[in-house]
Order: sequence, then structure tokens, then C-alpha cells
Amino acid sequence: MEDTIRQNIMSRRYGRNRLMMTLSVVAAGLGMFFLAVILGTLLYHGISSLSLDVFTMTIPAEGSRGGLLNAIYGTVLVTFFAILIAAPIGILAGTYLIEYANGSKLAEVAKFINDILLSAPSIIIGVFVYGAIVVPMRGNSAIAGIAALALIALPVVNRTTQDMLLLVPNALREATAALGAPRWKAMTHVIYRSAWTGILTGILLAVARISGETAPLLFTAGYSKFMNAGFTGPIATLPVAINTLAADPGEDLKRLAWAGALIITVAILAINILARLMGGRRQ
Amino acid sequence: MVDATNAAEFSRVDVSAITKTFKLQDRIFFFMTLASAALVVLMLLAILVVLVIDALPTFQTYGLSFLWGTTWSAPTEKFGAVPAVMGTLISSLIAMLIAVPLSFGIAIFLTELCPGPLRRPIGTAIELLAGVPSIIYGIVGLFVLVPLMQLYILPFLIATVGQVPVIGYLFQPPAPGVGLLTASFVLAIMVLPFITAITRDVFLTVPPMLRESAYGMGMTTWEVARNILIPYTRRGLVGGVMLGLGRALGETMAVTFVVGSVTRLQSSIISPSTTISAQIANTFGEADGLQLSSLIALGLLLFILSFCVLALAKWMIGRSDSF
Repeated sequence: MEDTIRQNIMSRRYGRNRLMMTLSVVAAGLGMFFLAVILGTLLYHGISSLSLDVFTMTIPAEGSRGGLLNAIYGTVLVTFFAILIAAPIGILAGTYLIEYANGSKLAEVAKFINDILLSAPSIIIGVFVYGAIVVPMRGNSAIAGIAALALIALPVVNRTTQDMLLLVPNALREATAALGAPRWKAMTHVIYRSAWTGILTGILLAVARISGETAPLLFTAGYSKFMNAGFTGPIATLPVAINTLAADPGEDLKRLAWAGALIITVAILAINILARLMGGRRQ
Repeated sequence: MVDATNAAEFSRVDVSAITKTFKLQDRIFFFMTLASAALVVLMLLAILVVLVIDALPTFQTYGLSFLWGTTWSAPTEKFGAVPAVMGTLISSLIAMLIAVPLSFGIAIFLTELCPGPLRRPIGTAIELLAGVPSIIYGIVGLFVLVPLMQLYILPFLIATVGQVPVIGYLFQPPAPGVGLLTASFVLAIMVLPFITAITRDVFLTVPPMLRESAYGMGMTTWEVARNILIPYTRRGLVGGVMLGLGRALGETMAVTFVVGSVTRLQSSIISPSTTISAQIANTFGEADGLQLSSLIALGLLLFILSFCVLALAKWMIGRSDSF
């Protein structure tokens, strides 16, 4: 009698375990399936739409030949300058929060504010830059796009720098101080060098994040069909071009959108994997 | 001999001058770092100030009734926040209902079940899902998920759940494929990797001793997850879920493509609708005057909303292992 009860309990427990574990495997399978569907769709539509024209010609009108050259150029330009602005400021800000003010109330507040910025909806950044730069400048411009992306990259770099500086052993700081080195020399010659791979990984991840951003660029950098070398005019970027072209009824333009989607995804995944490899080597 | 030259050399160096330069350089470096840190803080203030100033005309016109106004109509210049805010809240809620169990399942798989050599590749694959730009989710959602929803899933829902009293109100036509539920599915897939990564990381903080004693007592894997992992890490888990919710609330492009962009308060969750971010992305370019100001007021609401969620998440997780 007791044996049957025990057996019942055991079989119920094992049955439930089997059910839940199956569900957990199914969940993992679903996750992989989603990634496969996204990449598969991109490859299916993207590869057939890729051609040399995509990289050598600017966005066409429906029916004529063209490519995405100006959008690719725009993405590279805007991302490059945004990182150029955000990286030094982010590194210096992280330096202040960890090396000079760590533990103080003020630094805690500043770290919290940085984390809020880090997770702020990116479209809000776009709305802000619209009010702060686009309206005074009376129009979309590459400058506004750069500002928006820099504002998104800044908290990422700041946060990574904080995390990486925290990993630097204090003995290094004490040793350089004991040698009589001034603090800035200790930072640039010893501390940054020791944290460098980590910080660079953070910068790469920031590049990956901002080069795929669409929402903050819609009404800041804007959209243009033409090659635009200046900073004061609207400039197309790949994500905004995809957004515009995918909504177009023209089939050729839709195909161009798929080609752009494939290019930007492959580029971003490559940067992500590169950053991962660098981060992995550190450990 | 050598020592003597060195000593002579050394005595010629003006130590106090070097110290002075070093001190000056140190001050400059210090102020550069201070200014950078201050800039980050100022940026948040600047965002708030600009949003509030630009949203002011809306609040001057409607007062606080903007917050509970249920119509949004450009021709009649009547703007109320409720349809977009409801869209944002409902789509995020449904997305979390789908994504949270899935994420917990994947995290349990990764920490308890997965054979060692597969752990890293599968973990990386899930994390790569997080790196895919949101516009990609948008177009894949539009061209893959929307036809599926339109042809199979939504008609099925209307024919089954739609006939049930009360709940049926949530599943009424029109259901052209784009709509709140479709947006929720896309959002769920987007926040899945974030919640999974955090869940897995907090599961790994459970001391091996605790886990092994539980197994040693004869607990099944599910019982370990249910009675050890989840209770032990519940603060981190809730924090991770809140971070995911924060992302879902603010997500723009993926939603804009599949939500349908109809600004009307309605009970059906499968009909075209809108969210705050989709509303801004869709109409900001052509808007001016009061409509523009109202859109910015919506943006301000979204910012406050995600601020609250994130602050709560931070508070739950604590500083140590966040984001």
C-alpha cells in the first residue's frame, strides 16, 4: 500500500519534471528557431538582391538602376563621428566616477543617471535632438544625426569604462603612485593600458548598437537620395533607407531594402562577434 | 664615474618645476574627467528640459486632461494620450507574458540541462539575437509574421476565443494581420534575449553547494529550478524582467512596422492600433504646431514611464550586476 503511494508520488514528480524540462528544451529550440528565421529571411531576400550596384550607386527612383552607396556612406560617417565624440567623453566620465569620486553620493547619482540614459528609449533621444538641434538649424542634418548617436553611445562607453576600471587591481595604482608618477600619467600609461581590451570591447559594442539605430535618426539625420558630403544637409543612413524603401510600393526598392537589411545585419553581427572574441581573450 | 655624472645631471634638474608641471597637468586631467561626468548628468537634464518646454503648449491647451483624453485627431486638433499609452502598455504586457516564461525556460536549459560543449554556442546565438537591429525585426515581422497572422492565427483566434463571452471582446475583427497582438509577438522575440541573458547570469550566481545539496536530496531538475534557483534569485529575476519591460515600452521600429498605426481606443487586441513610439515615428515628420507638441508630450510620458520601470529594476537588482 505504502509502496504504491510512494510510487505514485515519484511518478508524478518525475512526470512533471519531464514535462517542464521538455518545455525548457522547446523554449531553447524556439529561441534558436527565431534567430534562424530572421537570418534565413534576410539571406533569402538579401542575397538575391545583392549586386555590385548596391555598393557603387546611390538610391534610385523606382524603375532605374541604383544602389545604397549614399546610405552606406552615411551610416559609416555618422557612426564614426558619433563614436569619435562619445568615446573620449565616455572614457573620461567613467574615469572620474571610478578613479576620483567612487563611493561618494554624487558619483552614485551620476552612475544612476548614466544607467537611465543607457536604457532610455532611443526615439526620445531623437525627439530631444530634434528640439535641441534640428529646430534651431532649420532642417535635418548629419550633425544632428551624429549628436543623437553620440548621445546613445556615450552612456554605453561610460558604463563599460566604469566596469573595466573596477577590475584593475589597486596594487597597480599604488605602485605607480609610489614611483612618483602624477595621476594622469598613471592613468594613461598604466591603468588604461591594463583595462584597454575591455574598454575597446565596449566601444565596439557601442558601434554595433548605434550603427543599427533607426528611430533616433528619422527626424535628425533625415533621408536623402543623393550623395551628400556635407555635415549640414540631410544624410541617408542604412537603417533609415531600409525604413523608407521597405514601405515603398515599388518592388525594386523593396529588394534594395532587403539588400540593405542583409548588409547592416551581417556588419553588426560581425562587430558583435569581434567584440566577443576580444572580450573572451581577456579572460 | 657613471654615478657622478648621473648625480650631476640630477642636481641640474629643477624638481620643483617638474612637480609644478605635473600638478598642473593633473589638475587639467581631473577637470577634463569631471567635466565629462558632469556632461552626462547635464544631458539627462537637457533632455528633460527640452521635452518639457516643447510639450508645454499641449499642457497649456488641454491641461492635465491630455492625460485622459481618448481621442487623437489631427484635423479637429483634439489630442489625448490614452490610445497611444494604452497601446504601449498592452503590447508590452502581452510581450512580457510571452517572453518571461520562454526566457526562464531557456535559462534553465542553459544552466541545468544543456550539455557542456553546446552551452557557449547556444548562449552566444541567443545573445546575437539581441544584437540584431530593431528595424530588422520590423521588416521580418512585416513580411513573415504579418501574413501568417492574417491568414492563419488571427482567423483561428476570432473563430475560437473570439466567440467566448467577455474575453471575446479582445478578439474581434478587423484583423488585417498588422495589429497590437502582432506587435506583441515581435516585441516578445526582441526582449527574449535580454531577459534570458540576465536570468542565466543570476542563475549562475546560485552557490553550487546549494544546488548540489538539493540534487543530492533527490530533487528533480524542475524541483531544483522551482524551489532553489528561482527563490534564491528572485530579486535579480524581477529586476531582469523590469529591464526587459523597459526595452519593450520604448521599442520603436519593430513595433511601427507591424502595429498598423490606427489611433483609436478599442477593445480588440488583434486590430490595428498604435503605441507611443509608433505614433511619434509615424507622424512626427509631418506634424507641426499643437500636434507636434502633443507628440513630444507623449514622448515625455514615455520617458517618465521607462524611467520609473528602470529605477524600479535598478532598485531590485542592486548596482552590482545590472544591465
